[in-house]
Amino acid sequence: MGVIRFQNVGKIFGPRGSGFEALKDINLEIGDKEFVAIVGPSGCGKTTCLRMVAGFENATDGVVSVDGTPIKRPGPDRAVVFQQFALFPWKSVYDNIDLGLRNLNVSSSERAQRIDAILNLMNLTQYAKHFPHQLSGGMQQRVAIARAYVLDPDVLLMDEPFGALDAQTRVVMQEELVRLARKNPRTVLFITHAVEEAVYLADRVAIMTRAPGRIKEVLDVASVRNAEDWDSHEKIEDVMDLESFVHLRTHIWRSLREEKAAQHA
Amino acid sequence: MKYESVYIITDSLGRRGRVPRRMSIGLATILIVCVLWLAMTTLFGIVPSGRFPSPAETWSALVHVSGRGYGGGDLTLHVYNSLRLVVMGFLFAIATGVPLGLLMGWSRKAEAFINPIFLIIRPIPPLAWIPLAILWLGLGDAAKIMVIWFSAFVPSVINTFAGVRNIDRPVLEAAYMLGMPKFRFVTEVLVPGASPMIFTGLRLSLQASWTTLVAAELVGAFYGIGRVLNVAQQDLYPGMILVGMIAVAILGWGTTRVLGMAEARALRWNTAALAAKG
Ligand SMILES: Nc1ncnc2c1ncn2[C@@H]1O[C@H](COP(=O)(O)OP(=O)(O)O)[C@@H](O)[C@H]1O
Ligand SMILES: [Mg+2]
Repeated sequence: MGVIRFQNVGKIFGPRGSGFEALKDINLEIGDKEFVAIVGPSGCGKTTCLRMVAGFENATDGVVSVDGTPIKRPGPDRAVVFQQFALFPWKSVYDNIDLGLRNLNVSSSERAQRIDAILNLMNLTQYAKHFPHQLSGGMQQRVAIARAYVLDPDVLLMDEPFGALDAQTRVVMQEELVRLARKNPRTVLFITHAVEEAVYLADRVAIMTRAPGRIKEVLDVASVRNAEDWDSHEKIEDVMDLESFVHLRTHIWRSLREEKAAQHA
Repeated sequence: MKYESVYIITDSLGRRGRVPRRMSIGLATILIVCVLWLAMTTLFGIVPSGRFPSPAETWSALVHVSGRGYGGGDLTLHVYNSLRLVVMGFLFAIATGVPLGLLMGWSRKAEAFINPIFLIIRPIPPLAWIPLAILWLGLGDAAKIMVIWFSAFVPSVINTFAGVRNIDRPVLEAAYMLGMPKFRFVTEVLVPGASPMIFTGLRLSLQASWTTLVAAELVGAFYGIGRVLNVAQQDLYPGMILVGMIAVAILGWGTTRVLGMAEARALRWNTAALAAKG
């Protein structure tokens, strides 16, 4: 299981009253094995939402829970993929992926088996002995995704995981994530400011308002995807050409532009 | 013209030939210094032998201390004693300093408690502890180990502390996310994460160890290189003074070299990281 629930969640950085109100009245439920993307203008509190689910930050109002249990601290049941990769530079690719499994006291034969499988799935087998810095950004992010996926977590949290990658690598990673997510579905909370990425990857897209961030609108992408059979197209550019895709994308664009305009007004 | 020469130096092929060339330049420099030394003292007598020893005088002092012995023992005994005390004092200092630095880096509370003590003790030059150490512990090994500890402890604590604080925050958060048991967190995240700075601290600690040891032996010792230097100064024996100085230089270089090899081994991942950052 892995149902994430935000109930009337607010977050104030600093003292109540004089502090900075980053989030207000967030209500959102992400179902088991559902892939939800959050988009919104920068500084609206997307990262803060994710960090509260991860257990790095506490809500100052309301409750953030997974399967009904309020979140107290970080843990391997909620694996995080960081924008800056955050691999352990002193550990090889293999050891980076292995560490979480060792902490979970998985037997060594099972660990070897699971790591080999994920290395294979992410096309990393030949880099197992490399140190992270010997790899390109795209490769490093693959390792970070493998490190999270190998834990078989209830919940995957990704904060602009492809934000630091160049456009080509980004597309490859998006296609691979779709492949991985369809093959091995997890509850995913995915943050991005790239609208196309959100529409391509997610079952639902939540649009946030500028600070203090609230959920402005939640779009159901999955029903359109299934109705129009997006998954029959292998390449991302073919999906992006579909009328139904363009329609959703444009809708989100408008909504975000309203927020940006209001921000600058 | 100018650009061309810059280009050739940074060229990757040109680089390959540079390492042996650098070594031969280094050897040539040493040779030139030796020739100048011979010229200034023996050949032209510009520097009188009472001021600075000639190569021949230095050699005979070396033969003297290695054979008959000088200042209470032969060279092996002096070297052995100095080296032993430096290694013991250094190991003792880092075995206490590194864990304390880790603790202070890890816990703000520990930092708040311990930092004031440092602020008081740090301005005192380590050498100023020598009289007190001798008063407490006499002229034997214990006093020297204590002063080495005082001098070598501080750099290892401070650099370890800074090393922990320098670990990227997302990397620490990744560790929390993976649910690390405490001991494993220390050994597999804090220590390796801080290790580039820890080794910087160790190098400074080692240098400080030699400085304080020689100073402490100069003040009072039964054996050791500092003792040789002290007696040679009283005997007005410049050749022996130079032998002592060269012995300390070689020992300092050798121990630094051993530490450097350990560092290169432990930080292999970091050379990759530094190369990636350019
Ligand atoms: N630890 C913090 N202390 C104070 N303010 C913070 C902190 N973290 C984030 N903020 C502020 O909260 C707002 C939302 O931040 P963030 O969640 O990172 O936005 P986003 O990810 O949507 O760009 C920003 O204005 C940011 O400056
Ligand atoms: Mg963010």
